Amino acid sequence: MLGNLNIRVMLEYLPDIWHGFLATLMLSAAGFAGAIVLGIVACALSIQPLRWLKWPAVAYVDAIRATPLLAQLYFLYFGLPRLGVLVPEMVIGVIALSLNSGAYVAEIIRSGILSIQRGQVEAGMSTGLTYLQRMRLIVLPQALRPTVSPLIGQAIVLVKDSSLLSLISVVELTRAGQMIAIDRFMPIEGLVSTALAYLVLYYLLKLMAGLWVHQNRLPGRA
Amino acid sequence: MIEFSNLNKWFGALHVLSDINLSVAKGEVVVVCGPSGSGKSTLIRCVNGLEPFQKGGLIVDGTELGGSEARLRDLRMEVGFVFQQFNLYPHKTALENVTLAPIHVRKLSKVDAEERGRALLAKVGLGDKMGNYPHQLSGGQQQRVAIARSLAMQPKIMLFDEPTSALDPEMINEVLDVMVSLAREGMTMMVVTHEMGFARKVADRVIFMDRGAIVEMASPETFFTAPKNDRTRDFLSKVLQH
Repeated sequence: MLGNLNIRVMLEYLPDIWHGFLATLMLSAAGFAGAIVLGIVACALSIQPLRWLKWPAVAYVDAIRATPLLAQLYFLYFGLPRLGVLVPEMVIGVIALSLNSGAYVAEIIRSGILSIQRGQVEAGMSTGLTYLQRMRLIVLPQALRPTVSPLIGQAIVLVKDSSLLSLISVVELTRAGQMIAIDRFMPIEGLVSTALAYLVLYYLLKLMAGLWVHQNRLPGRA
Repeated sequence: MIEFSNLNKWFGALHVLSDINLSVAKGEVVVVCGPSGSGKSTLIRCVNGLEPFQKGGLIVDGTELGGSEARLRDLRMEVGFVFQQFNLYPHKTALENVTLAPIHVRKLSKVDAEERGRALLAKVGLGDKMGNYPHQLSGGQQQRVAIARSLAMQPKIMLFDEPTSALDPEMINEVLDVMVSLAREGMTMMVVTHEMGFARKVADRVIFMDRGAIVEMASPETFFTAPKNDRTRDFLSKVLQH
């Protein structure tokens, strides 16, 4: 099946795949940036004690985790115009990716914060540190380290999820691959080109994660 | 300095502290002992507001507990607390553990805080371990860093919650020695411990607690030689056997 790949056609469509690659990269980066912001806010709200602030954050995380991304995407695609919000598909796509990933990011960060032993917080309290100082000086520097690997994992998931944006006619990598299939009736060539491009993205993320871990080794540990 | 009046605390239906009346004068060293679950840790955790209580009053260094968060914070700056599990910050060196609060709470400059930190670490015998991280230190060393961390705030009162219970036997003395010298310098201290040798040596009073109540309170001399209460006698026979 792969033995008689039409390499010539694949090379011919390389510029389209390249544009799709860049589009996926941008969409994912924007989506993930939004997810981090949303995740931090949702997490902060869900761990603070005031119930009326906590409740919306918990509802958001539950609603997102309980429903498929595709449904969320269509919900925004058809729902936003009915609310009078007319924005390009690409923006809807980024919003959907951010909303979706944000819920998972919130849970990842929350698990990191909860992993810090209560005793350290009490030690901070006992020396007069305020809540924000305890968070900034004691909890967060330790809580964020174990979240880096799962966050990179979430970024990898987000890159692949962005392929769903092809369904609301955003031209990204998957859509670019479909063009080859549609123009030349060569679905396998299109899919292989797409898959290779996703693989490159995956290794880029993995490389970044590796570099981060290498540069941020725990102080005092080899 | 510390004044409990009819203090009561419940964890749900469990009455963990019942009608506590106790006053600790400036410079006094009070040792609290008793079986596990008797409420002795909870008692001293009330003193710096780590545990809320439901009834009665507690005044520490002129501050009534149960007030605002801001006043509680001011109080905590004056009351050091040493935990059974040390609770050092694992991402900070010994010196950074000690200087963190002076820099961020007392607003000392980094240079001044480090000078104070070095002096305190030297005082607890860890002058050569300033740059080490907690995981590179033994339990006894970690606890001494924790004591130095509390002292760096120059507190008026020091509370110790079973400071040697998590230590290997050969490390207990290095921690007790630091506490003894602190007591001799006139620090006001409340110490939850089963180290009866320490109690004999420096305590002004020894308190025995059982089921949330203070059962016996006496000078070490009387406490160890002529305890009045049966439960105290029973407890002492168990801890003094070895």
